[in-house]
Amino acid sequence: MTLKGGDVRQERIDRGIKVRTGGIYAVSSWKEIGYLLIPRLVLIVGLLILPLAVTNLYWQRVISIVGIYALLSLSFDFLTHFVGLVSLGGAFYVGVGGYMAAILNTKLGLSPLFTIPMAALGGAAICTLFLLPCLPLRGVYFSIVTLMYPLITARIIEALNILGGTDGIVGVASFPNRWVEQYSLFGLLLLILFGLRRLVNKDIGLVFRGIKDNDQAVKASGINITHYKAAAVFISSGMGCLGGAYLVHIYMWSGISQLALDFSIIPIASTVIGGGGTLVGPVLGAFILVPISELLRAFGTLRIVFYSLILMAFIIFRSEGLMVYAQRKYHQFERWVKV
Amino acid sequence: MEILVYGIINSVTLALMALGFTLVYGISGLPNFAHGALYIVTGFIAWSFIHTLKLNFLLAMFLSLFVTGLIGAAIYRLFLIRVRGMATSEIIASYAIGLAILEGLRWGGFKGMTYTLPVFIEGSLQILGVQVDLQRIMVVVVGVVVMGLLWLFTHYNRIGLALRAMAQDERAALMLGIDSDRMAVAAMFLGSFLAGLAAVVLLPLGNIVVEAGYNVLIMAIAVCIVGGLGSWIGAILAAFLIGFVQILTVVYIESHFQIVVALLAIIVTLILKPSGLFGRQKELEERV
Amino acid sequence: MKAKFVVPWVLFSFFILLFSPPPAALSAEKPIIIGCPLATAFLYGWDAERAIRLAVEEINAAGGVKVGGKKRPFAVEVMDTRDLEPGVPVSDALLTLEKLILEKKADFIVGGPVRSEAALAAMDLLSKYKKVSILTTGALTPAYHARVAENYDKFKYCFRISGEAVWMVTGEIIPCLVDIGNKFKVNKLFIMVQDVAHARGGGALIAKIMAGKNWTVLGDPEIYPTGTTDFSMGLLKAKKEGAQVILIWMDMPESSILLKQWYDLKVPALPFGSIIAPAEQPGFWKATEGKGEFCLANVVNAGNAPSKATPWTMKFFNAYTKRWKIEPEGYGTSSSYMAVYALKEAIEKADSLDPEAVIPALEKTDMMGVYGRIRFNAKNHQIIPSLDPKEGAVGTIFQWQKGKRVVVYPDKIATGQIQLPPWMKK
Repeated sequence: MTLKGGDVRQERIDRGIKVRTGGIYAVSSWKEIGYLLIPRLVLIVGLLILPLAVTNLYWQRVISIVGIYALLSLSFDFLTHFVGLVSLGGAFYVGVGGYMAAILNTKLGLSPLFTIPMAALGGAAICTLFLLPCLPLRGVYFSIVTLMYPLITARIIEALNILGGTDGIVGVASFPNRWVEQYSLFGLLLLILFGLRRLVNKDIGLVFRGIKDNDQAVKASGINITHYKAAAVFISSGMGCLGGAYLVHIYMWSGISQLALDFSIIPIASTVIGGGGTLVGPVLGAFILVPISELLRAFGTLRIVFYSLILMAFIIFRSEGLMVYAQRKYHQFERWVKV
Repeated sequence: MEILVYGIINSVTLALMALGFTLVYGISGLPNFAHGALYIVTGFIAWSFIHTLKLNFLLAMFLSLFVTGLIGAAIYRLFLIRVRGMATSEIIASYAIGLAILEGLRWGGFKGMTYTLPVFIEGSLQILGVQVDLQRIMVVVVGVVVMGLLWLFTHYNRIGLALRAMAQDERAALMLGIDSDRMAVAAMFLGSFLAGLAAVVLLPLGNIVVEAGYNVLIMAIAVCIVGGLGSWIGAILAAFLIGFVQILTVVYIESHFQIVVALLAIIVTLILKPSGLFGRQKELEERV
Repeated sequence: MKAKFVVPWVLFSFFILLFSPPPAALSAEKPIIIGCPLATAFLYGWDAERAIRLAVEEINAAGGVKVGGKKRPFAVEVMDTRDLEPGVPVSDALLTLEKLILEKKADFIVGGPVRSEAALAAMDLLSKYKKVSILTTGALTPAYHARVAENYDKFKYCFRISGEAVWMVTGEIIPCLVDIGNKFKVNKLFIMVQDVAHARGGGALIAKIMAGKNWTVLGDPEIYPTGTTDFSMGLLKAKKEGAQVILIWMDMPESSILLKQWYDLKVPALPFGSIIAPAEQPGFWKATEGKGEFCLANVVNAGNAPSKATPWTMKFFNAYTKRWKIEPEGYGTSSSYMAVYALKEAIEKADSLDPEAVIPALEKTDMMGVYGRIRFNAKNHQIIPSLDPKEGAVGTIFQWQKGKRVVVYPDKIATGQIQLPPWMKK
């Protein structure tokens, strides 16, 4: 770039405080502890206050949905940016978890307290089992095959008329009140978010990232990568199933539209907007995107048009996402230097 | 006999739907998820030409094909070119564009079931003792002619040869002075043109509805995957395979398994042989 | 470069904002808000929306609803549920319903959700929020009123003023088929249905009953997945096996392909659409260039096609045509219109907006409406059907004849006779 005074280029340098807080010395001053804690606290406190702060009855409903989409986005981000498996079939997890919770509740009469964890774990096991044959696939092949899973499941349920067919399963129990619903959901969301952040920096996380960057090399070191991929799919689909189970209990219903494409697309969109590979980004993305989509409801049919244009614009013009941008601004400063 | 005749018709229909998709993927590696939207948009453009501008029927058809081609090229030149090579971004971006087009059409009042295009020729005919309407025969004729022309184009025309060169080895093509961006735009023009062509011959059979866009996309993907992504011959053969299997399903099993069969074909093919039945084997790129 | 693209979009959205419809005109008294969750991009959605708006305009022009000594107007809030769209989860439609209840402060829900899966799921929400709802379009599933009967205290908020599948089959379609059989001496039935629960159930039920009425049902019902574009195999099978009536039950737009193919192949059988969405619309004739002639279609309630069921029928039909410059199109039009009137009466009778008062009032509804006498079954809140407009709600089966929708069944309201296509006459 040429400016007055010759050729210059932009340089980014880590802030001193970022470097200082990298190690144990972070505890040496309040300022540095604050530097580390404030962003995390903002997120935790923000999430915990949200159900209290939102007074409008309708928006209280929306934030539950946002929480579910945040879970799904987290699941997508983990599998995509830490294991390198781009799954376009998020709806499959939602469907499996949802149906499982609905059946456990309506047939066995279990309360949501039991059905939700059972659906999350059991659903994850089922999803992993079904996806096992596809695990060796790479890149776009894995994406397309996962995209087909929810479609074919819906068609099979329809064609065989099982699991309630096109009428779905109704009469699922709901939560006792919205505080239980929202705080358990947000609590789990935070737990999973911070748990995943730890996980990806442990040994197993290193293997995951190794698989993403160069699976051949990992394989050559004598590690069974299918085993690790299966573990990753289990974690990721577990989150999806959890989201599905929550959805079923919030709306007291399960049906084939649990396998709808929207559950695959919206989490991807929020990951794109929030910033992939940050784990926090997709959660924020969901908290931005879903309310925007609600605001757009006033436009009726045009809503989806705007929505997809926003998504496309982000992918094409701002593909790094908001969180990557924000992290850069927080940790680094920029200056122009002469070349 | 019926199985043979309608199997061929169904297969050619599928091939027509898939040709544009596989062409674009073969040349520039773009999985164009806006394919279904382009298909539908052609139908509505043709309808508008005929009913609003009162154009001659054939003229309207041809014009709408060119307009769709230009729309496709513009989409690629303005948006998709920026995410070239990032398969997932391409899928999401093109899907978003497709969704915007389809929903935009609906917002623009193109909803309901009363939009139709006139057929080329009325009437029906007996072939091998089977009654077939002439429009369906047209579909087969157009399909065969298009496949032939496409073959001639890619073997004897400069642009066609350049497209083929890019499909085979993009870097080598670049070194020989072929502008790969320009060619990718050309490929997208051609792909959209073919999607439009499929639309103008197939839509007169029924009515133009937005929802059909999604089905066309799924069928196109099914055919391309089974045939091997990017392989033209493979796509045509796969169209025949799926086409006949579907008809056989209707006759011998039950008609509501038709779509299950198509989807199952995708999954099984991908798991067993991701490069498809007739694709070039690229073992290391596909699976480990 | 980036700014270049962003600016037009921003301008475009402002433009949209500027021209979006202004809020409804304010009236002296606080309006009673009717929330309508409808799939407005689809026939069954926009039709219902127009009918509801028409009824509300008429009522408001006449002064409004008398409640608590005041005349209060109705106000309509329509929201798009997109629930007929593939790829959209029902939870999205349910959220729309919650938006109507919680944010738009709807006092009553009229209309949808349209898809049966969504309508059934909505029942739990309606009982949670204690909102009286009248379902007027879309869902035909008998499970709806069965659930009300099963658990009255929970689901007493849900009414349905449009038809349901079991009566449609046993009360209208079967007798009409029997009539056709007696009149034209035909008895070979071929069934083609769409792969959704109501169609499959309906098809199987018709097959079972007709087999007991000395009809030959050829093979199992042919079931087509939603989005099928080729029906030739089924039609050729029908032709080969000598079918005389083809029963169609499909709400997908592609079923017009079926009729075009039927015409092109000159299948010598009468197409009988128990549900055939494209053939319901007045634009169907032009859309098929007349190839759909002789097709029979069912629009569930009278008034959706011109007939003389009650004095109100043609009044409604003409008012609708005048207001929207198009005839009532599909099923769900006259019922949505009536729902508003039934609601008005119930509110005036109860003299309150309290659901606990309005529910018994609605249960006691008894009025001569557009499609006959409107009464609800007090146990399951389903409208009471009949073949006689003086007794209950009547359906309508019409046949396309020379570009017109001629009502052929029930006899009491028929305006013409069923005709056979020329290639069927021996």
